[in-house]
Amino acid sequence: MNDPLISINDLKTYYFTEEGSVKAVDRVSLEIKKGEVLGLVGESGCGKSTASHSIMRLIKRPGKIVGGKIWFEGKDLLSINNEEMRKIRGAEISMIFQNPMSSLNPVFTVENQIAEVIKLHQNVTKTEIKKRIAEIMSKVGIPDPIERMKDYPHEYSGGMAQRVMIAMALSCNPQLLIADEPTTNLDVTIQAQILELMKELRKDFGASILLIGHDLGVMSELADRIAVMYAGKLVECSDLTGLFQKPKHPYTKALLESIPRLDVQTERLRIIPGTVPRLIEPPPGCRFHPRCEYAMEICSEQEPQLAEVEKEHAVACHLYTSDKKSSHRRS
Amino acid sequence: MPETMLEIINLKKHFPILGGLLMRQVAAIHAVDGVTLDIKQGETLGLVGESGCGKSTLARVALRLIPATAGTVRYLGRNLFELGKKEMRKLRLEMAMIFQDPYSSLNPRMTLTDIVGEPLTVHGLAKGEEKKKRIVDLTKKVGLAPFHMYRYPHEFSGGQKQRIGIARALAGNPKLLVADEPVSSLDVSVRAQLLNLLKDLQAEFGFACLYISHDLSTVRHMCDRVAVMYVGKLMEVAPVKEIYTNPQHPYTEALMSAIPIPGKRASEKRILLKGTVPTPIDPPPGCRFNPRCQYSIAECAKQHPELVEIKKDHFVACHLRK
Repeated sequence: MNDPLISINDLKTYYFTEEGSVKAVDRVSLEIKKGEVLGLVGESGCGKSTASHSIMRLIKRPGKIVGGKIWFEGKDLLSINNEEMRKIRGAEISMIFQNPMSSLNPVFTVENQIAEVIKLHQNVTKTEIKKRIAEIMSKVGIPDPIERMKDYPHEYSGGMAQRVMIAMALSCNPQLLIADEPTTNLDVTIQAQILELMKELRKDFGASILLIGHDLGVMSELADRIAVMYAGKLVECSDLTGLFQKPKHPYTKALLESIPRLDVQTERLRIIPGTVPRLIEPPPGCRFHPRCEYAMEICSEQEPQLAEVEKEHAVACHLYTSDKKSSHRRS
Repeated sequence: MPETMLEIINLKKHFPILGGLLMRQVAAIHAVDGVTLDIKQGETLGLVGESGCGKSTLARVALRLIPATAGTVRYLGRNLFELGKKEMRKLRLEMAMIFQDPYSSLNPRMTLTDIVGEPLTVHGLAKGEEKKKRIVDLTKKVGLAPFHMYRYPHEFSGGQKQRIGIARALAGNPKLLVADEPVSSLDVSVRAQLLNLLKDLQAEFGFACLYISHDLSTVRHMCDRVAVMYVGKLMEVAPVKEIYTNPQHPYTEALMSAIPIPGKRASEKRILLKGTVPTPIDPPPGCRFNPRCQYSIAECAKQHPELVEIKKDHFVACHLRK
């Protein structure tokens, strides 16, 4: 259970634009254990989707994976050739996206699209494929699968289309499922259905899940551990309760206090001053320091490293690692 | 008791669907189907519901931005639908709106000064130096700096753009502000800034606010009263505390339990609704929620329940709560 299924070491993915290089993911290291759900959270533009696309090697120009290693089953995904990668993609690692309607091809039936995945990775007969599709569609809760598989994507509602995406992703029994904001575009009652489905599938399939999102509520439903990203860097990584009950990084703390809660009534929300920095010229030292209320001198000079400060709870902040903790607190 | 500002009485909006060889009307989308609701002076009324339930249409019809199919809307006692064009135009100044998408609701070829100054010019409120002063004032009020004055929308971030939208809405000193999902396209940290700003401005200007959203957590933070809408009809209207602690309609109850709470796993008690929202083209007979309702009884499929007051200020449309 505790062996890592995939481990990302020092991943760097940059986008080379005319204005300069955007360091979207900058030296990120992360592990996903077998059977666990890891939540990756952060605001838009923090690099969470780029990180997940890097795992699948789906980074397009002008983006490029500049450095690092991604170990998966004894292989470095970044150094194998395209042919080998294609065998892994969709079969061993698969992905669901935010907008199911635009991820499905509108001119093919659902049957066609799920069949494509199975055909590509497995050598099975036509009747076998059809049986498999019906099976997987009923597993993800699509009623009347034999009839429904003949329909086109536009005949599905948003929630049902997302179920099709999940069916497609699970059709080859992947070991890792990357879910990039799987419920963001759905209504709350439909979101609840999809979350419930993912919880059940997790039990059935035993796949590890990398859940990407910005909604901390959705994260809490599924994730075992949560990693927080800010401006291309991993700032904190902890188990679920540790993160919510004892958040360490000032960014995580502020983030948790800035969301209106359904269970507590607050008069005023916490504000994080300023905006997310541009990643072409990120601030020196800790990338959060210009917005941080605890910033010290060292924060603008030296980049903090991710270090475990409590069991299973790592944070990249000088407040926890530096000896100069008490001195030079900037007013 | 605060005076009623906007009175919506049995308002309906049906969009025709044309079809056939002669393009005759073959069906209608019942976007808003008999809604009665009022907004009191100075209060924030939250209008919540899932996408497609008609909440934005309701706001648009109520402000006479699109014609109504039936019903009446009274603004401070005057029937909006009976006013002439000129009179209506004057009233527009008092009823402002901010939109969901700050990117598409600002003209990319106008500077901040032009955008915020336009309502002042159109309504002849200020000219020359005075106008400039008003624009600077408004810009500062929404947390932007005077050096932003001559910038174009593309030079601003999403949160800043939404601030411009707010400044434009405030230019005419509105008495009623309709905010249609004002923060849903923004990031969490920026969202908090804007929610606080809206609250501050409301305290300062004293306008009433119709806050439309599908996000029940922000609604709880912002509103005094909440109205829950489902497929064109109101299901429940109650003070904010009531609706979150003591929801009476099965739909409200399910909606509340569906929201994931940060730091907590959902309890076993979560009510999981079956199926999806019905289309407003052919809504189910009787109570529109009955096909998905776990408590539904025979009567529910026959007749739509009226909105009745079951407790002071708490209205529910459900056969089980009569």
